[in-house]
Amino acid sequence: MRYLVLAAALAAVATLSLLVGPGDLGDAALRGTFLSLRAARVSGAMLAGGALGAAGALVQGLFRNPLASPSILGTTAGASFGGQVVLLAHASLASAGWLAWVAPEMVLPIGCLTGAFVSLAVLLAFVRRGADLLSLLLIGFALTSLFLALGSFLTTLAQERYELGRAVVAFTLGGLGGVDWTHVRLAIPLVAVAVVAGWLWGRPLDVLLAGEMEAASLGVDVPRTRRWTIAWVGVLTAAAVAIGGNIAFVGLVVPHALRPFFGAEHRRLIPAAVLGGATFLGACDLLARVLPTRVEAPLGVVTGLIGAPLFLLLLVRTRREGVA
Amino acid sequence: MIEARDLTVTRDGRKVLDRVAFHAAAGEVTSILGPNGAGKSTLLAALAGLLPIEAGEVSIGGARLGELTAMQRARRVAYVPQRTELRSALQVETVVSHGRYAHQAGLGRPGPADLEAVEDALRKADVLELRGRRFDHLSTGEQRRVLLARALATQAEVILLDEPTAALDVRHALELHALLEALADDGLCLVAVLHGLDAARRHTRRATLIDRGVVVAAGPSDEVIAPDFVRAVYGVELVEDAALGFRLGGPA
Repeated sequence: MRYLVLAAALAAVATLSLLVGPGDLGDAALRGTFLSLRAARVSGAMLAGGALGAAGALVQGLFRNPLASPSILGTTAGASFGGQVVLLAHASLASAGWLAWVAPEMVLPIGCLTGAFVSLAVLLAFVRRGADLLSLLLIGFALTSLFLALGSFLTTLAQERYELGRAVVAFTLGGLGGVDWTHVRLAIPLVAVAVVAGWLWGRPLDVLLAGEMEAASLGVDVPRTRRWTIAWVGVLTAAAVAIGGNIAFVGLVVPHALRPFFGAEHRRLIPAAVLGGATFLGACDLLARVLPTRVEAPLGVVTGLIGAPLFLLLLVRTRREGVA
Repeated sequence: MIEARDLTVTRDGRKVLDRVAFHAAAGEVTSILGPNGAGKSTLLAALAGLLPIEAGEVSIGGARLGELTAMQRARRVAYVPQRTELRSALQVETVVSHGRYAHQAGLGRPGPADLEAVEDALRKADVLELRGRRFDHLSTGEQRRVLLARALATQAEVILLDEPTAALDVRHALELHALLEALADDGLCLVAVLHGLDAARRHTRRATLIDRGVVVAAGPSDEVIAPDFVRAVYGVELVEDAALGFRLGGPA
């Protein structure tokens, strides 16, 4: 029943997103084009949101911490930086006559994946030395700052060429304005495989909630579980970033909001987080489109405006309850 | 049932256990005793196969622990920590069902044997009435019983418990000891790290006393918890008392 409520919310947001936006659907000649463009954008938003929701549920389970999320831990920034590197590298190679036949969006996921994995690997190296919540958040902050600084440098380099500069800035800010069916078709297998695989790892992650030593005593292969969970979090984050750029807070807010209704068991939470994440990001994108601003508000700005106060609220509540 | 020979564990360059020999039989509760920092919890974790061992070996029913996979090991030896890191909103029944993890292949869906084992464990640990409650909302004593139920659900022949009565009031501590003795009567091999010499002498049949990573004495509890050993290890006088069994005097 609870999944049905989420599915109904998702369907409502999808329908609204198809109906609302610039362009007159009453024009029979253009209706099909408008609907196709909007459908690609809605699908992209929902894929990215679902991926970030699932990634958030997985990463919160792995770190046994409700405040963990790909954006807080620097994974999103890592994926975003990886994407920027690939965009720049592709442009340079294309101008030299290499790889010109490959569209940038085809190679973007590779850069995002590499960036996400590098970021997660650094984080995990610290976690294995026994980092507490505060250290974890600080490491995430440091990683985010580092990748943003490096990304800013790349953005500056990209300004030498107008089109490339625009593409890198748009990708960095996060948005779904440029999403087409190519993006969606590329991301669908990545997200589908990673969600199913993450769901399959749900049971050892449940046992791991009791800590690594207890989980090992119950038969969980802890290093393997950690390795694979990180791999799927990396794939999900990279897929989301490849679609919509640097979108913060979805992976944090969605699983946290759904846990009271679906429980802490990952095999219940992950499907809910996929539906919830898709609905949340779809709604944020709709909001970004209808906000009365002169230019469309970047999606990352909308999710940040909603997510940041919620994160602070959760941080205060978590510390008060002694979980930290 | 569970045995260790020449067990040596090093941490940060310091030998925490030095060629320790240990033996515990089925049908008995065996205690591991010693002062703070003696290496009791390290010995228990090493017996559970949860620590890297520098030298020596642990065997359960003749099978070498180091040669078992994590799943095989979990089906033979269960470990109940002193404190759990579990703070999630999982239901008690779900926590206990984690004891079946090593029995479930494939998608990990519980079968009839798993459901029966969980039911049996909930009943034996006397937590049937808590099954629908959230684990993080339970008292310390209730959480201990749930963790014991999780260990029972593994159906392992050996259960290792790290200070199972720490932070429990007298009544709950006595109830837990009675439960452990009843489980031993059912044929299980139970090993418990204990601090209280009185509880060890009353509720465990055998004891191993260690100090600074070395075994000082091992054998029947009333022979190990004796004046000479207690004086040598704890530096206090143990005085036999007809009414109390014994009492502890001031520093020797």
